[in-house]
Amino acid sequence: MTWGDLSHNTLVVAVGVAAVGFASGVVGSLCVLRKRALAGDAAAHATLVGVAGAFLVTGRRDLVTLLVGAVVAACAGLGVLVLVRRLTRTRDDAATAIVIGVSFGAGIALISGLPAWGYPGSAGLEQFLLGHTAALTRHDAMLLAMIAVGAIAVVAAILKEATLVAFDESFASATGWPVWVIDAIVVGLVAVMVVVGLPAVGAVLVTALVVIPPVAARLWTDRVGTLVVVSGVIGLVAAVSGVAVSASQSRLATGPLVVLTASMLFAVSLVIGPRRGVVARRLAGLQRSDRRGLVDEPGGHDA
Amino acid sequence: MMSIVLAETASDPGFSAIHAWAMATAAVIAASCGLVGTLLVVRRMSLLGDAIGHAVLPGIVVAVLAGGRAGGPLVFLGAVVAALVTVGLTRVVRAAGGLAEDAAAGVVFTSLFALGMVLVGFAPPGTHIDAACVLHGELAFLPFDTVPVAGVDVPRAFLVGAIVLLGLVVSVLTTWKLQVFTAFDPAGARVAGVPVGLITMGLLAATAVATVASFDAAGAVLVVAMLVAPAAAAELLTRRLHWMALLAMLLGVAGGCLGYLAAWRCNTSAAGMIAVVLGVEYAVAAVIAPGDGVIMRLVGRARLSWRVVCEDILAALWRAEEAVAAPGGRHVSAGRLPAAWWLATSGRIERVDGGWRLSSRGRREAENVVRSHRLWEAWLGRHADVPIDHLHPPAEWVEHHLGSAMRERLQADMDARTADPHGREIPPEA
Repeated sequence: MTWGDLSHNTLVVAVGVAAVGFASGVVGSLCVLRKRALAGDAAAHATLVGVAGAFLVTGRRDLVTLLVGAVVAACAGLGVLVLVRRLTRTRDDAATAIVIGVSFGAGIALISGLPAWGYPGSAGLEQFLLGHTAALTRHDAMLLAMIAVGAIAVVAAILKEATLVAFDESFASATGWPVWVIDAIVVGLVAVMVVVGLPAVGAVLVTALVVIPPVAARLWTDRVGTLVVVSGVIGLVAAVSGVAVSASQSRLATGPLVVLTASMLFAVSLVIGPRRGVVARRLAGLQRSDRRGLVDEPGGHDA
Repeated sequence: MMSIVLAETASDPGFSAIHAWAMATAAVIAASCGLVGTLLVVRRMSLLGDAIGHAVLPGIVVAVLAGGRAGGPLVFLGAVVAALVTVGLTRVVRAAGGLAEDAAAGVVFTSLFALGMVLVGFAPPGTHIDAACVLHGELAFLPFDTVPVAGVDVPRAFLVGAIVLLGLVVSVLTTWKLQVFTAFDPAGARVAGVPVGLITMGLLAATAVATVASFDAAGAVLVVAMLVAPAAAAELLTRRLHWMALLAMLLGVAGGCLGYLAAWRCNTSAAGMIAVVLGVEYAVAAVIAPGDGVIMRLVGRARLSWRVVCEDILAALWRAEEAVAAPGGRHVSAGRLPAAWWLATSGRIERVDGGWRLSSRGRREAENVVRSHRLWEAWLGRHADVPIDHLHPPAEWVEHHLGSAMRERLQADMDARTADPHGREIPPEA
């Protein structure tokens, strides 16, 4: 392998991860607007069982096999949530917490058992806990990028309807929009993004890539279209810089770095975001009190 | 390979003691988590338990880097501070972004956890904290770190867990009435002068303490299973808070012991298997719960539809008698024959020349069903402005659910009217 090959591979992986970051931000903004911010968390923790299960069943550990397992497990986790909601009086928050804890425990039990069951090491599966982009091949990165582009296309197609459902559910259902179909598409997209983000960010933190960018973008704009794009850009920047830092600091896993970059972008937005940021609010507060001073002045003199 | 491990451990004289200590440790931390989790679940704060489980990590790592040792006071302090910071930051983010609480919490706890993970990466070797331990704990290694207590080498983790359990039980017992009041009527509690904010802060601190006690055994992510799964299972099995707390602790202890044994048999992560066993416990509770478990719901639904079929047969026979006052038997459709046979064996209807006829007992019951039906039609027609051709379907459904007391009230509301809107007589109460 020559340097040319290596840098080209790194570049392709960076492009793939950038696409995943952008798509996560885009899909996440729908999810946060619909107030389902943590819908992906149960799916994310469940993916681990799928990854380990796919390896145990097929004996293969190429990315496609493992991610197919992850998608199946993510859907199963969401399905269990729906079942618990239908069949028991356990509330949603407790049901989500149970799915998160129990499915992650099952995944940990499967992965930890691999060495004792005759597999060498844990077959590299523990990289799905916290993300490890160094192991990605060019082929994998292209695959992730294509799925990410597909997810962005779906969001573009349903953006208007999803916005309507998010802001006025009763109007949407009264005018005949199938609210549950749109919700199902949004949740399905989140499940897909969680799985696609798995190699780069890992099961424990991949929710953050869906939640933090839109919440940060919310501080910059009040328009849904702008929100989606800004959120995507924040996701992209976080993903790429996290991957770049972990490439230079190989003992750090990728996921925490990606998430920490996103948190820093959020913190910056919180301070200087023009819509709801701390500075903008102070300014608005000053302007308001100025205006109030002008209006109140004559009355004050009269009294 | 497994048999070699088994043979080696079985020949080790410390084998049973080590496993007993590990199981005892799992039991005490699971009991603490079950107790705290009960309050989290009834106060709909389960996801906050998850958030705190993640967010205590930077507090623990900073405390360890500052020279604290696992289970030491510095680590507990760091974790409690991190938990309170999480909640404070969540409020700030929520107010600033104008977003739902889960989005704000999602930002804060993932950020803090990521910060903790990066800090772990910088921990010098020999500080006994690494990524694997953070993610799933190392229950099997805990019994080797012991302190002598009255001449016995007690594992440090068990000692810390037992002290935490004792402290939590005492604080929950002494504040029990306030906890119940705050959980079920926070507004009323506030008006009555209960320091609701303080109680909530205490619960958050207790969650952080239970998390730290479990941290070395279960890691940051699996603790949420120990907090929520036993409490949610207990909630399905009982409707009294004190029984729920007790059951949650017992289920936690059972899950801790069984999970440890299962992990030992399968040669895998103890914390992972404990979470799985707790999930199985919840699933079993959801299926067998008295009252509204899956089985009882199915049984209840089946009994209701059986009763509806039986009452429909009785009412149909009664209406047929009303229309043509001939003593002959009536036909019952094939799908309803099992119900008809049961009605016959219980003496409500009898077989007459190829058909069925009401017995005097069946006639009384049928009269009440028809009476319910027609009273409801009459009442709807009078008070609800429902067109006359829309009266039948609701009455057809309600007739199975009106008791004699309800019929009496409807009758009293009807000025002794004796006919329904279709002009048919409302039979008297039998």
